[in-house]
This record gives sequence, structure tokens and C-alpha cells, in this order.
Amino acid sequence: MEKLTALVTGASEGLGKSFALELAGRGMDLVLVSLPNSGLNHLANYLRLNFNNKVFCIEKDLTEANSAYDIFKMLEEHKVKVNLLINNAGLGNWSWFEEKNIAFYKTQIDLNITSTVLLTRLFLNHINKNEQNYILNVGSLGGHFIVPKKQVYGATKSFIGYFTKCLQLELSGTKVNISLLSPGGINTKPELLVLNHSLKGMAKATILEPEVVAKAAISGVLKGQKEIIPGLANRFLVLLDKIIPGFLKEIIIRRKLKAILNV
Amino acid sequence: MEAVTNKYIKVLVTGASGFIGRKLCLTLAEMGYDVIALCRNIHHPYLIPHRNIQFVKGDILEIESLESAMKDCYQVYHTAAMAKMWCKNEQDFYDINVLGTRNVLNCALKLGVERVVHTSTCGVWGPTLNLPISENDPRAVGFAINYERTKYLAELEVKEFVKKGLDVVIVNPSRVYGDGPITDSNTVSKMVNGYINGTWHFIPGDGNAIANYVFVDDVVNGHVSAMGNGRNGERYILGGEDICFNSFFETLRRITGKNRNLFKIPVRVIKAYSQFEAFKTRFFSLTPYFLPEFADRLNCNQQYNSNKAIAELNYRITPFTIGISKTIEHLQKNALWKN
Repeated sequence: MEKLTALVTGASEGLGKSFALELAGRGMDLVLVSLPNSGLNHLANYLRLNFNNKVFCIEKDLTEANSAYDIFKMLEEHKVKVNLLINNAGLGNWSWFEEKNIAFYKTQIDLNITSTVLLTRLFLNHINKNEQNYILNVGSLGGHFIVPKKQVYGATKSFIGYFTKCLQLELSGTKVNISLLSPGGINTKPELLVLNHSLKGMAKATILEPEVVAKAAISGVLKGQKEIIPGLANRFLVLLDKIIPGFLKEIIIRRKLKAILNV
Repeated sequence: MEAVTNKYIKVLVTGASGFIGRKLCLTLAEMGYDVIALCRNIHHPYLIPHRNIQFVKGDILEIESLESAMKDCYQVYHTAAMAKMWCKNEQDFYDINVLGTRNVLNCALKLGVERVVHTSTCGVWGPTLNLPISENDPRAVGFAINYERTKYLAELEVKEFVKKGLDVVIVNPSRVYGDGPITDSNTVSKMVNGYINGTWHFIPGDGNAIANYVFVDDVVNGHVSAMGNGRNGERYILGGEDICFNSFFETLRRITGKNRNLFKIPVRVIKAYSQFEAFKTRFFSLTPYFLPEFADRLNCNQQYNSNKAIAELNYRITPFTIGISKTIEHLQKNALWKN
């Protein structure tokens, strides 16, 4: 097989960084996209030295109107051919709807939805659809469930789920594999870990390390898996979701909500 | 004879009964500094008495005791930490390593301390890929290990205080060994002592996993030169030689002259056992011998590059054979005392 080149958005930290490391470890060349001044060049140098692969850095704010267009233009100019697109960049939140201002939600939607759609659209122009190519969209297990305090985030991830599943149908006649990654919680930013580590039992079991998620995701996308749910506990939750009747779920969520409201 | 150049310069060392702290106190005292050695128990058996060392009872989580100990100190060495691989209350890692560091830095800023040397760890980078890690390299994996996560968060605290105008230098020792007490936070001493006594029986995996071992005297000297020559806000890896388990035990065999049968145990067997340990710990609160997050590490290399410290701090690495000989000698002497 010819050497693959993967484009990863949001590559400088968290899950994106784990994707970069996992892909480099599998001998792929990389195009890394992340915000300016986020340490991308240090990461790129580190990867080049350790894996002797080609790493192309693009520092760009994906919420800018022309960013998706600019990225593919740069790739054409430098004659870089990408075969695997990973739409990973995203912005989360854990707050009541009225706690954040409109600028935040605009950024969140631009990043989680608009940039994913536009990059996917331009990627399909960039490739030859009769050759093997891959797209991995990062959704969330939150896209399956209604979770309070994740109103906009969860909705953007539901969008990604619908979008991805629909494209899977549309592209079924081509050699383009498109996969949806639906991870539960991931221990990414250590600043946020204090919260994750105070969880117990089942809630704790749903949270995984980023390198574990990245490994499962890359294996899944290369195998052409339609939806990748890393972690046994998470797969169990999705199964429960399918078999529990709607009214019961409603009760569970309301009880959870009550507990949150009482804190 | 002790030096007189540094006479009457008062310095504070937190974690004075720790593996690094106790020898750091002694070295500073020998250099002529007036050492205020902060410890929770001033009769702790690991403390080394010296006429220039004043043991002060205190706790980095009790701000008043910290402030009165730090009063009139020009410099502070913050070596205190929760460095065990497991403790009963997980929250202790955060409290001691993060909040404790914040308290020390806050106090130093308030009292106008000239410089703080903060003892971090190479654990903030954790496992390495094909090449040794340097200071600017990113971390390759997540933070499953409590100690590593909270020590990383402590470094973020340091960054905040540097912005506020405090002068702080971070040092990152790798796996420290040497003459010193055998404790839960020092796995190398456990391995060496176990080998000498014939109670250590295994090599993890194929024995080819590489780790970096640093002699405690080098770490102490690195601290002192970081205080003198380090750059504000910078971090310095204080490492030693990169050695795999096989050559580690081969060196022990050569130096002790003792042949031990060591069994290579596959990492997945160790991992399975560690999961049983984790279960035991979770449901019965028993001290685990080994946890899954550490078992995962046995497949990884942990190689670190000390070139920055060598260039800027005049840091020197004691060859592993020499350092480990001294360690063995020390442990054998102590074993004689016990008999």
C-alpha cells in the first residue's frame, strides 16, 4: 500500500495530538492544523525526529470564513496529497445555556459544524473518489444522549452524527470510507482532569485516555467501520440506550438533572 | 571543613525528610548555608543532623507554619511532594502537589524570596517514543498516573507565579537512585535491595524497556546550580544514563557478585495481576503492590536528555556503575546494622 498522508485538525493538544502520534507511529505522513502559537512546531519537530516522517504544519483559526479554502489551497500549492481527513477540532462546554455569551456559541458552532462540513466538502474535491480514501469525523457519545449543560455542544455532535451517517449512504458507491467516532469522556486537558478523576464507578469507566481512543479510532477508520465507540462501558451504554424504553430514560435523566440542580 | 562563603544565608528546604530533600539539606549545610529544614515530624528517622540545619516542624498545607518557617529566607527549595505511586486518599496527590506548591509560591512571593527552585519530575513527559525527550518536547500520552498529572499541574502553578513576578526555576529529575531510605516512592532502591537480599525474582517483559536512572548526588548538585545559574521560568531535566532492565540487573550481578535467577514475566501477565490488585484496592482499600497504569508503562521507554542542564547548569552525570556501586555499598552497610 502506498504511504498515507493524514490531515488532523486541532492537532496541538488533547485527542488531536494523540491522533498525530498514533498516525506517525503507523508510518503516515501528516498535515497538522491548529491555532497559531499553540506549540504545533514543537510537536511537528518531535514527530519528524522520532518517526522520520513528513509533517506539514498549518497554523490557522478554523472559525475564520476562508480557512477551509485556504488550507486546501496551501496543500495544492505544496503538492501535498491527503488521503485521510480527521475532523477533530472542536470546542466543548459544561455550563447552563445562559452562562455563555453569543460569541462563544458562534465560535462553537463555526468550529464544530461549519469547519467540519466545509473541510469534508473540499476534501472530496481534493481526492479521486475511485481510490481508497478515508474521513474520520469526531462526534461524541453525547450525540446519542440528551445531557444537560451540554445543550449546544451535544447538538453540534448530533449534527456530526447525522451528517456522517448520511454521507456514508451517499458515498457508498465510492472507495471513500467515512467513519464516525463517538467517544465518551476523554482525559485530555490535565486542567480538567480533576473533575474526571473525582468520578466513581460507571461514570469513571466511561472515561478513557486519549491514546486509547486514538488507537481504536484509527484502527476503526482503516477497517471501514461505520461508527467507532471506544471502551466497553461506552458500548454497553449505547446498548442500554437501544433497549430501554423512552419513558424510563426520561425518568433517569430527570432524576440526574434534579441531582445536578440540587448541588 | 565546611565552607564559610555562604555563612548566614538562610535557605528553606521543604520535604526535608524526602529522598532528595534530606541530602540537599546536608549539601547546603556543608556549603555553609543556614538551612531551615521543613518537615512534618522533626524526629523523622530519615533526617540527617548537622549543626547548620535547623529542623522546623511545619506542613506546606498549613500556611501559617509555612510562613513562619520561610521568614527571612533568601531562597527556597521546594522538594516536598506526594511521590508514592498510590495513596489511600487520591485527593492527597492534588492537595500536596498542587495546592501545597501554590502555598509555597504564594508565601515566597509575599515574603520577597529571591528565587525558588521547584522540584518537578520527568514524569511530566512520561513515556518516550524512539528518542530521548528534551525540555521542549510534548507529552506523548495522557495522564493516567496521579503523581504525573498533579506534578504537571504544579508546573502550571509555577508558570502563573512567574508571570506574577516570582523568580522560579523548575528541575525535572528522572528516576532517582542512591544512598537513602527505602520507601514507597523510591522503586529503584526497592529493586536493588531486593536483588541483594534475594527477594527480587523478576524482570518485566523482555527486559528491553529503557528508563533513565539518575544518582541522587547529581540531582542535589543540579538543584544547587539551578538556584545559582538557572534561568527564571525555565525547566531543566536532571537525568542520568538510559539503561534497560536487562543491563540494570546485569550491572547488579557484576557488582554484587551475586547470581540471582530472574524470571522474565510477560507484561500482559503483570497487567492482569495489576487489575486484580486494583480490584483489591478499590473494594478493600488495601495497599496495592502494583497498579494497571504502571503495568502499561513496562512496555514503554522513558529516556531523557540532560543536555540543557549540562550546557547551562554545568550539570554532571555520575556513571551508572559508579552510582549504583555506592548505592549497593550503602544498602549492604545498612543491612549489617539491622543484623
